[in-house]
Amino acid sequence: MARRRAAFYWMTIPAVVLFFLFHTFPALQGVYYSFTNWNGFGDHYDFIGFKNYYYLFQDSNVWNAYGFTFKFAVVATIFINIISLLIALGLNASIKARNFFRAVYFLPNILSVLIVGYIFNYLFSNVFPIWGAHLGSDTLAGNILGNEKFAWLGVSFVAVWQGIAFNTILYLSGLQTIPTDIYEASNLDGASKWQEFWKITFPMIAPFFTINMVLAMKNSLMVFDLIVALTNGGPGRATQSISHLIYTGGFEGGEFAYQSANSVIYFIVIALISIIQIRFLQRRETDM
Amino acid sequence: MRRFGRIGSVIIAVLLTGTLLAACGGKTSADGKVHIEFFQNKPEAKDSFDKLVAKFNAENPNIEVTQVNPPDAETVLLTRVVKNDEPDIVGMGATDTFSVLSQSGIFEDLTGQPLLDQVNPAYVKQVTDVTGMTEITGVPYATNANGIMYNKEIFRKLNLQVPKTWDELIQTAKAVKAAGIIPFYFTYKDDWQTNLSFNALGPNIVGNDFFKARRADETTFKDHFQEVAEKMLALLDYGHSDNFGKTYADGNRAFARGEAAMYIQGTWAIPELRKTNPDLELGFFPFPTGNDPNKANLISGVDTLLAITESSKHKEEAAKFVEFLLQPENIGQYIEEQTAFSAVEGVNQDDPAVAELKPYFEQSRFVDFADHFIPAAVQLNSITQSFLQNRNIDGFLNTLDTEWDKVANRRQTP
Repeated sequence: MARRRAAFYWMTIPAVVLFFLFHTFPALQGVYYSFTNWNGFGDHYDFIGFKNYYYLFQDSNVWNAYGFTFKFAVVATIFINIISLLIALGLNASIKARNFFRAVYFLPNILSVLIVGYIFNYLFSNVFPIWGAHLGSDTLAGNILGNEKFAWLGVSFVAVWQGIAFNTILYLSGLQTIPTDIYEASNLDGASKWQEFWKITFPMIAPFFTINMVLAMKNSLMVFDLIVALTNGGPGRATQSISHLIYTGGFEGGEFAYQSANSVIYFIVIALISIIQIRFLQRRETDM
Repeated sequence: MRRFGRIGSVIIAVLLTGTLLAACGGKTSADGKVHIEFFQNKPEAKDSFDKLVAKFNAENPNIEVTQVNPPDAETVLLTRVVKNDEPDIVGMGATDTFSVLSQSGIFEDLTGQPLLDQVNPAYVKQVTDVTGMTEITGVPYATNANGIMYNKEIFRKLNLQVPKTWDELIQTAKAVKAAGIIPFYFTYKDDWQTNLSFNALGPNIVGNDFFKARRADETTFKDHFQEVAEKMLALLDYGHSDNFGKTYADGNRAFARGEAAMYIQGTWAIPELRKTNPDLELGFFPFPTGNDPNKANLISGVDTLLAITESSKHKEEAAKFVEFLLQPENIGQYIEEQTAFSAVEGVNQDDPAVAELKPYFEQSRFVDFADHFIPAAVQLNSITQSFLQNRNIDGFLNTLDTEWDKVANRRQTP
């Protein structure tokens, strides 16, 4: 028995080696470079200890990017989860053409983020301003992606639009785990729809709520391709996310080592947030 | 039986790993030709270079040049350099990115090589001014001009003259606006478009020697760029209703359709405009930055230089391709299609759209773009875009100085 189990360990070797070579090793290299002043080109660099980390805390562009990223992530996470849960409840009900609607609502998830971004870029530039002009709003009569104060709302809108689909699927699968006889019992006791949701439905899908919140937050914190397609971090740096800053500063700006340090801190921040979020929500699960 | 089983598992695991790793290896050339990769950053120029590459390949059966022209080309180039996966030849502008790569030893030093014999020394100097090096790391090829395009038909209809001073420019814009036409079509959703006026005003009002002094920490933007900032803002009053909502592509379409009288842009946009409207009657004049017409220089920089990478294993063949491109017949074909100007002396641009610029080239009355001297990590484009929206001059100048100092502190000293 023990010998047979050993064979399975050996089978995992290729995957572990590949993972280490292409994921772990490059990540460790990045940490190494974060202690240098390498610009990414040529062979020369000096060790500068923690200077890059010190500079990061002095850099208003980094704080600005975290400010936008957190504001965006919180708004996107909340709206994605509220709307996707409502849609899932609707799709789980006994409605006509249910499977058709499920397919329609899942469509945004299979579209490339860049394609979605460019489509909405066109809409924000050419279609929505016409609607805005009809509404008599000066702000909406222009492209809000070009407005320093409101561009983040445009980006959030598109992120929510696309992000809902995936979370809806998870909620739908969660709802389907709830036995129907519980609802039959509550009907006999005269429970209202409202009570039914908060006393039965929501507690029963609490684990799905937890994972959906964590996934939506993590994905929102890592927003990058949508930023590239819609605003490229603009106007100015109004919608520059941390990942976009790392990319433009490190590759366009020739500050590879400095932005490696930025990405090390970024990794730590996301890991901490995910851990805290899971702990908090899991504790609430047991309280329900 | 059991021993064989265990050993067999190990052998299979090792073989699988080896097979997977081997699959990542590169292929070697089997057709006996020398393969040269020509990495080029201008999407507008892809077609022109494709023709020239095909012509060269036909004339040189033992060499095969391939053009690579990805979106966001400069960033792709930088990521490839980080991976030590460098193309043989790079075509790019003489910008800060080129400067950083040169200082890092990526490109071959071409000092004293015959490739430079026919090139206008003023443009070679632009290259070395930008890099701050004595070595010459790129051959200037095609140059451009930054200024203002105008719609000749609209100008005739409104009986307007081409402005030669700043005051005349503003008067012209007012007259156009009074006639119900858009004076300037701004495309400030793209942040690089916001630096076009900065690039014209800075070198003429302040002068590019400022940047040498700034590199030496002897001066500041705050001390010298007040007038530049004020004039950048003044132009905003003569735009359209959504200056920050339109992109370069939108602007090219709109100007080509005659929706605006003027367009602050570079000559690189002319081929794009003609794709939309081949009958567009456009002219191009230098940006009037002050009120002395004799002191206004044309802004002209190296739009495309040709650099051979130090790591290339085929430097001889690469140099042969560069030499081919520099031949008058070939560079003439390129500048005609791209409405560019030749860095090679004696090859003239006769397009009527840019006829008004000819005296400036003949008299060497041109200076380089301001942004070629500003470190890319400063992110000038973001800063100017933000400034034009919030209109805070002090904030703008302070930010430029702060970002410059931050980047200088972090940068390796060459």
